[in-house]
Order: sequence, then structure tokens, then C-alpha cells
Amino acid sequence: MDPKFAEINRRHVLKAFSYTALFNIAIAIFLTFLEFGGGFMETFIITQCIGMSICACILLVHFLFKSAKFFIQMAAIFIAMIIGSVLGTLLGTIASGIGTSIFFQKYSLLQMIILGIVFGSIISYFIVSRETISATKTLIQEERIKRLISEKKAVESNLRFLQAQIEPHFLFNTLSNIVSLLETDLEKGKYMLEDLIHYLRTSLSKTRSDTTTIGQEMEMIRSYMNIFKVRMGNRLQYQVDVPDTIENIPFPPMLIQPLVENAIKHGLEPKIEGGKVFISGKENEEILRLEIADTGVGLYEESDPGTGLSNIRERLQSIYGDKGRLILEDNRPCGLKAIIEVPHARDKSDHR
Amino acid sequence: MQEIKAIIADDEDQLRSYLKSRLSDVWSDLVICGEARNGQEALELIDEYRPHIAFLDIRMPGLSGMEVAKRIADSCWVVFITAYDQYAVEAFENEAVDYILKPVSRERLKKTTDRLKKQLTTSSEPPADLSKVVERILASLPNRETPDYLQWIRAQQGEEIRLVPVEEVLYFKASDKYTMVITKDGESLIRKPIKELANELDPNKFWRIHRGTIVNAVCITKMSRSITGRGVVRLKDHPETLTVSRSYIHIFRQM
Repeated sequence: MDPKFAEINRRHVLKAFSYTALFNIAIAIFLTFLEFGGGFMETFIITQCIGMSICACILLVHFLFKSAKFFIQMAAIFIAMIIGSVLGTLLGTIASGIGTSIFFQKYSLLQMIILGIVFGSIISYFIVSRETISATKTLIQEERIKRLISEKKAVESNLRFLQAQIEPHFLFNTLSNIVSLLETDLEKGKYMLEDLIHYLRTSLSKTRSDTTTIGQEMEMIRSYMNIFKVRMGNRLQYQVDVPDTIENIPFPPMLIQPLVENAIKHGLEPKIEGGKVFISGKENEEILRLEIADTGVGLYEESDPGTGLSNIRERLQSIYGDKGRLILEDNRPCGLKAIIEVPHARDKSDHR
Repeated sequence: MQEIKAIIADDEDQLRSYLKSRLSDVWSDLVICGEARNGQEALELIDEYRPHIAFLDIRMPGLSGMEVAKRIADSCWVVFITAYDQYAVEAFENEAVDYILKPVSRERLKKTTDRLKKQLTTSSEPPADLSKVVERILASLPNRETPDYLQWIRAQQGEEIRLVPVEEVLYFKASDKYTMVITKDGESLIRKPIKELANELDPNKFWRIHRGTIVNAVCITKMSRSITGRGVVRLKDHPETLTVSRSYIHIFRQM
């Protein structure tokens, strides 16, 4: 238990007094039933006086001994309860008009003090427990803030991620190729421009929608690969092997594309002789699996992991929890294989 | 007058032929004596033909255009070609290095070739030695070089060799000549003794807490001490606890 009292504000004081008042009424009713004292009104006034002064004393202790040690705080509360009950009794006898001397003929001071301590402990516990409850509430609040912050971070990283898709280097190089083809091979230039337009349109529109389908994603990747096929010539071969049965499955946008981009940019482009990219999709009862394999230079143990891959991991985690995975493997005989696995209910895809 | 020779280096065929045809528009006398598809070929061509000018694309497989320029020193005038390299272009401007942007515009190319013509025909000024300048530029670019520490662990998982990012490793545990890698998803064995591994990992992120244990610091949730003076480390999302031997306990003192 934290030995420090929690900070007390005006709301706490008001609350403590009102709970004490209610509690005092209950005690008065209880004592009247036991036929202790002289009638409800008299008992009511006296219990209110005793209760209120105990409450005031305890609050005063809370305020004065805010940062004292636990034992000192406890002792102070104990003393506060005694002082409170004595003061309260005196006040009560005056307020109820019985007169102090008459009252003490009937009851001893010790009796009052014991009663005061018993009820005071209950009041005191009540104040403390209210604080614990509000402290728990603050904790929950903090958790919520933390979660919101992490959600915000995820959204921001998503945004950065999507904005980064259309790389200026890619765009200008592609445009240069198109400009060149306009002179040498008009037909080829036209197709390349169409592929670029398709790629730009889909990747830009996907920044605004949460899900797309595997089929749409693959179509965009085909455009992207066609563009690179023209640019890299016979340094690039590619193959897309995704069965029709999974084409209509909803899928988050821009998870596969960055892996294809990586395969070209970090795998094949740095390699003088170039190589191949295989993109394939498989499904079983529980898992949908997409593979992007290249025969490029592969990943060195010291290679910069880059923000792209960790971004994909974060997005998979935020969408699928632990069930969405990005796995990287050495491809045979060379290069890198990236695998995305997400949970999948096969029967969904059968209902078209 | 002696004929002026140039080579063009770019990994994309289309862009090489486009530059060649644009060059013939603005400088019909220029002889393109060779075309290179990568940095290595560019070096060979320069060595073979001794051209006056080399047009070098920055991003090429093998050697980059900058690396080629660094190696040829002052043997010819260099014009860099780039589609988009924000930082490099800034540096070229600052260092007054010739460059052209793709797609190549006729005006820009004319300006560049006019300047080259003047330098080659009217003045006897030798080509500037770019090696120092390029070195300076390369050093000023945002760090492209590979990080100093291990980033990936190659771990055997069944038939496959998986690449696990080091930040996903909870801890490493020595196992004879091998090392056990423990992640959230399970364990695997790598053929590297822990002693060697300790030198390759970033010591700020991976702490050696025992002769046979290296732990990922961000995964530690709690360290408590036993009466014997050893420490016990608890990990996030992992039931097992790790022992901190007395000689490594000082790491936790500074926290």
C-alpha cells in the first residue's frame, strides 16, 4: 500500500461530509432501534455532531500529514478520532439542549470515545477507499490514453507508409522511359503510360480505403511489374501465381506491394545480372499465405531492416493481432522470400 | 581539331539511348564511344577508350556513379545523371558538380554541353579531380551505409532458414558451440558461439547478464535480487526467468 495519502481536493471534502451525514443518519436510526439514548431527534443531532467532527478531524489529518510516514499517519488518524468524538460529544450535547453535565451522568466519556473510534474507523476507511477507487479510475484513464496514443501512432505510421508509396525516383525514371519510348516505340510507350496511370490511380485511391481485394492488389502489382519489365529489360523476369479462388478475398491495401518493391529495389536492381520475382498465393482452412520470392542479392545480417518491413509488421499486428505474420526466409538458391500469413476462413470466399 | 569522345553509363537501356539521341541533337560532333550498363562496365570503358567525358547515372548495380567518379579521379570530365536524388542534387549544386536530371531536357543538356565544349576546346584546364569532392558528398548524404551491428538472425526453422529481426529476440542462451535464440514464437539454434554474438550485437540494446545469456533490454520488465547476490530478470510475455550473475549485476545499478 502506498503510504502517502492521495491529494485531497474540494470535491473529496464535500463527498466525505455528505457520506458521513448519510452514515450518521443510519447510526441514529440504528441506535434509536436499540433504544440507546433519548429519542430519534436527540440521537440524530448528537451522532451528526460526533460524525461531522470526526470527519473534519480526519480530513484535517489528511491535509496536514500528507507526506508523513505511514505509522505517523495512522497514529494521527487515531488521535483525530478521539479528539473528534470528544469535541463532537460536547458540541452535540450543547446543540441538542441536553446539557453536558446531564449527558455525562447517563454515558461515560470512554463509551463515547469507543463509539467514536469504531464509527470513525468506518468513516476513515470510507474516505480512503473512495480514494483508491478514484485512483483506479485514473489508472484506467491513463491506460486509455496510452491506447489512444498507440492507435494514433499506428494511424500516423500508416499514413507515412502510404504517402511513401509513390517514390519520386520511381516516378521520374518511369516518365523518362515513357518520354524516350514516344520517340522509338510509340505503342510500347502507350502501354507503359497506361500501366503507370493504373498503378498511380489504384495506389492513390487505396490510401483512402481500408480494404481492397487480393485480385485488385495483384492487378496493381502487375502494372508495377510491367513498368519494371520495360525499364530493366531482360534483367527482370516475373511470375504471378495467384489462384482465382482467392481473388475476391478482402485484404488490407499496400501490404504486398512494398514487399514486391523491396524485391526489385533491394534484391534485383543492385544485382548486375538481375533475376526473377515470383509472387504466389495459397489458402488452406485457416491461413491465407502470400509469398514474394526473388533471386536477388538477399539480405545480409547487417542489412538495414528499413522502416518498410517493421511498418508491415506493425500493420499486420494492428489488424490481425498475433495471427498476422510477416516471415522472411532465405530463398533458394539465392535471394529473399517474404511471406505474409493472415487468418482466413475459407468458406467466406466460396460465397460470391 | 581532335574529336571529342564520351561514354554513357545507365542501367536502363531506354534511358541510355534517349540520352544518346538528345546528345546528338545538341552536339552532333560528339562521339559516343561506349555505353555501360553498370559501374564496372563504365570503369572498363573509361580505361579502354580514355574518353573526355563520362555521363554517369548515380544509381547503378555494382558500383554507383559516384563510386566510379571517385575511382577515375581526373581522367575525364564527369556529368552525373539522376532521376531524383534530393540530397545528391543539393550537394552537386554546392560543389558546382555537373549533373543532369532525367527525363533530360534539351535546354538543360545544351547548357551543360556548351560548358563542356568551352572547357575542352578553348581552355587547357585539366578535368577537375572529383575524388575528394565525391568523398565529401558521400559522407554528407544521410547514412546509407550498413549499420554496424547485427540486424538479422539466420535461424533454422525446419527446412527453411528464417531471418529474424534482432529486436524480436527475447534472449540468447549459450548451448555448447551454438546459441539458442528465444523469441515470442519459439526457439531456434544458430551456429554461432555466444561470445562471438556478443561482439556483433548493439551493447546498448542487448545486455550480457550471464556468461551464457544475452538479453534484449527492452523485454526486461523486472529485476529482483536474491539473498545470494544474484539477480533474477523477468521478461515481457515470457514465463521463464533469467539469472543475472554477480559479475554482471552492475549493469542494473546504473538504472
